[in-house]
Amino acid sequence: MEGDLRSFRVALVASELVNPEAGGVDALAVIEQEGWGAMQLPAADYPDEVAAPLLDQVAEQTEEFARHGYTLALVGSRAGLEQALERYGLAVPPAIEPDAADQLREFLAEVAAG
Amino acid sequence: MPGVAFVAHCLLNQNSKTDGGARCPGVYSPLVDELRERGWRIEQMPCPELAFTGLNRFWAVREQYDTTAFRRHCRKIAAAVAGAIEVHVARGDDVILVGIDGSPSMGVHVTSSDPARGGRPEWPDGAPELSPGSGIFLEELTAELAERGVTAPRAMGVSHQLPTHDPSEERAQLVALMEGSG
Repeated sequence: MEGDLRSFRVALVASELVNPEAGGVDALAVIEQEGWGAMQLPAADYPDEVAAPLLDQVAEQTEEFARHGYTLALVGSRAGLEQALERYGLAVPPAIEPDAADQLREFLAEVAAG
Repeated sequence: MPGVAFVAHCLLNQNSKTDGGARCPGVYSPLVDELRERGWRIEQMPCPELAFTGLNRFWAVREQYDTTAFRRHCRKIAAAVAGAIEVHVARGDDVILVGIDGSPSMGVHVTSSDPARGGRPEWPDGAPELSPGSGIFLEELTAELAERGVTAPRAMGVSHQLPTHDPSEERAQLVALMEGSG
């Protein structure tokens, strides 16, 4: 992968942590600083019939990363994610519900270190 | 909240790029930061190519992806994305779309095209395959929205894989798009 700068690390991230309320944990900023890619989970304010096909896409794409040995993590949570991943033969990756940016930073470093 | 930006998957995850295409470890920050600084909600679209041809895929042009199976795959993703766009449009949110110009699937104003390309891959980097037009996913999303009676959002393509890439011009284009003049 000459000239390719990918990190081989992908975090599945709750939409509410990609688009945090004022004062909330800005997970996307930490993920960016720590050199991870982000895969956004469907927002909690989407109706089930809208979220379900988006969740299926997340699981399908996660399977491709998993098959190639990319490091995966879950930041936040999303109802239905576990079942969607199961349909592709995947378990939920190491997960965190971050209360603070530094806590998330530490978690991502630990997961990256294996 | 000024609006909702539906962005190409790789803007938040450069790991999804074709080999050789990742410009940074993960989040392509220039445009993501611009959107967030202005308070736009970000919604990441799935990558049409990632699950279909995988992480080991070749760089490809529209003609190589323009198959019934890939269009069916794109329409499935487009239906999922259109459902989300529909939610925001119904709420009265301003919706924009940020694709990837030069991409055979996510191109908005520039896609890649070469009817002769195929077989043994020996084209030189930078071969003149860029051509005006949209990628296949964008076509399917536009069709899906039209069938639902939803107006397609204003859209731009990130230009970082074009030889003419100019970061400040790209940023200005995004600002214009957010402000409704793009």
